[in-house]
Amino acid sequence: MNVGVAHSEVNPNTRVMNSRGIWLTYALGVGMLHIVLLSIPFFSVPVVWTLTNVIHNFGMYVFMHAVKGTPFETPDQGKARLLTHWEQLDYGVQFTSSRKFFTISPIILYVASRHLEQEVTFLSIGFRYPF
Amino acid sequence: MLFIDYSSAFNTIISTKLRTLGLNTSICNWILDFLMGSPQAPAYHLVLEGILILWIIRLLFSKTYKLQERSDLTEKEKEDLIEEWQPEPLVPPMSKDHPSLNYDIVTGPPSHKIIVNGKECINFASFNFLGFLDNERVKQKALTSLRRYGVGTCGPRGFYGTFDVHLELEDRLAKFMKTEEAIIYSYGFATIASAIPAYSKRGDIVFVDEAACFSIQKGLQASRSFIKYFKHNDMEDLERLLKEQEIEDQRNPRKARVTRRFIIVEGLYINTADVCPLPDLVKLKYKYKVRIFLEESMSFGVLGEHGRGVTEHFGVNIDDIDLISANMENAVASIGGFCCGRSFVIDHQRLSGQGYCFSASLPPMLAAAAIEALNIMEEDPVVILIWFRFFIFMYDLVNKYFQIDSYSAVKSVIGEVYAPALHLQLERSSGSRDTDVRMLRSIVDYCLERQIALTLARYLDKEERFLPPPSIRVVVTIEQTEEDIEKAASCIREAALAILK
Repeated sequence: MNVGVAHSEVNPNTRVMNSRGIWLTYALGVGMLHIVLLSIPFFSVPVVWTLTNVIHNFGMYVFMHAVKGTPFETPDQGKARLLTHWEQLDYGVQFTSSRKFFTISPIILYVASRHLEQEVTFLSIGFRYPF
Repeated sequence: MLFIDYSSAFNTIISTKLRTLGLNTSICNWILDFLMGSPQAPAYHLVLEGILILWIIRLLFSKTYKLQERSDLTEKEKEDLIEEWQPEPLVPPMSKDHPSLNYDIVTGPPSHKIIVNGKECINFASFNFLGFLDNERVKQKALTSLRRYGVGTCGPRGFYGTFDVHLELEDRLAKFMKTEEAIIYSYGFATIASAIPAYSKRGDIVFVDEAACFSIQKGLQASRSFIKYFKHNDMEDLERLLKEQEIEDQRNPRKARVTRRFIIVEGLYINTADVCPLPDLVKLKYKYKVRIFLEESMSFGVLGEHGRGVTEHFGVNIDDIDLISANMENAVASIGGFCCGRSFVIDHQRLSGQGYCFSASLPPMLAAAAIEALNIMEEDPVVILIWFRFFIFMYDLVNKYFQIDSYSAVKSVIGEVYAPALHLQLERSSGSRDTDVRMLRSIVDYCLERQIALTLARYLDKEERFLPPPSIRVVVTIEQTEEDIEKAASCIREAALAILK
């Protein structure tokens, strides 16, 4: 289902992460977080990358694996009351595309931060040794 | 710490090989930068990154699977099972004298004189407690409404099915019962069966009396909650269950904070014709913090000075009861049911009550008939007191007849003194329910021949949780005279003597 349309989904939480544009929104959200952190003047770039990683991981942990149930009442008498959002995704089907995406995204964020904190720019040839 | 210095690792690639491939210098330099970005990386960094990249590739290529569906049967086994299967007949074989195959046919309205199988009898079977079925005022009001609105509403309350009579009836019921709000359902059975699952969900706990009627049982089944039955009208059993639950709660207070607890009782039980001990229940409610749902189908219009039900009968404050549910198919002689209580509670059912949202609303002429019945009840509360003494009379009579005789052990009368519907059960069961039912049925037939219409209490034998023993249900209404009741009591006694021996 796409958010904002009429649907017959019993628990919309299961389909939110498959909606149109949600992956892009998530990526842009992480990007926004990074830019906001970069604007704080007394953080150096490696520190900002570390902070992005930490805050992203903490936020995803809280929303996906810590909070249980749904913020709305579902018509199935509360089947998902004790399930985290991660467990609710796609009604418990494992390794669907959105689950893979959200498993891979922190890894990619880590690998990207490892490479990009060294200020390699694409246009100039200047680079700096890190440690 | 092992360091790998590969600052000169790519020397030959850039200078010779990439140039010979014809790549332009700036791209070569960019590649060189990328490769040389961390020329003095510790070994474990590279190893870690390699593992992560491999992990990503593995995740990308893993297959989607569901957790539960794993059948361990081979194709051949599946084929064998399919071939072995023999379909059961749609209609299972049954005996010729099954009650569903031999029913009594009623011609005309089931009023005081009912025509059963062509014979006119005095009606001791229909729940027409206050005689509103035949009341001229009610009939006139219904006819006017019929001419104005037609018969059906053709829609649920949300889709143009709300008429002014519905709102008026809800308003009048709320005022009559002295609660904040009331909500109307179009089918009496569905009233409590929709109300329970609207509030009680998976993980919630419901304490129910064993003698709860079938509609309550269906509501509990739909709610998917934990159900704990306590012995009929046994407050100590209920207290024991509540104490056990309290101990459980103390073990896990976070879970207890989100668990809802309910007690569901009937005011006047249809299966046993006695009254719940409401003041004790209210005390337990405040001691153990549970909510009370009261089902008043039989006691609405019957108990209490003005007919407000079991709360008025015991003098309990109506605000102590969280939800009162009743059907209007008994004393009010209409169709449908209502729930009343605080606005906060009742409003929830307007979106969560399945029977309210997804069934067509009550036909307006029935709502108008119910309003008129309420009018009569309010004008003339003496109406209710009059047949109060009929019950006592009936009870005494039946007891008198059955106590004088040495066959007093033959039948026992089940029910309270002021219950309008009594059950007559066999004192000693013959062992099989079928024979009991057949004996009682022959008593009913005997009485039907002598123009007394009685009925067996009917249950869905396989679906009831605690199946009550077979019984004859006798209903006393306001329209029966003392001679009628005498006649009925003596007829039952003769039948018992003749058939039961």
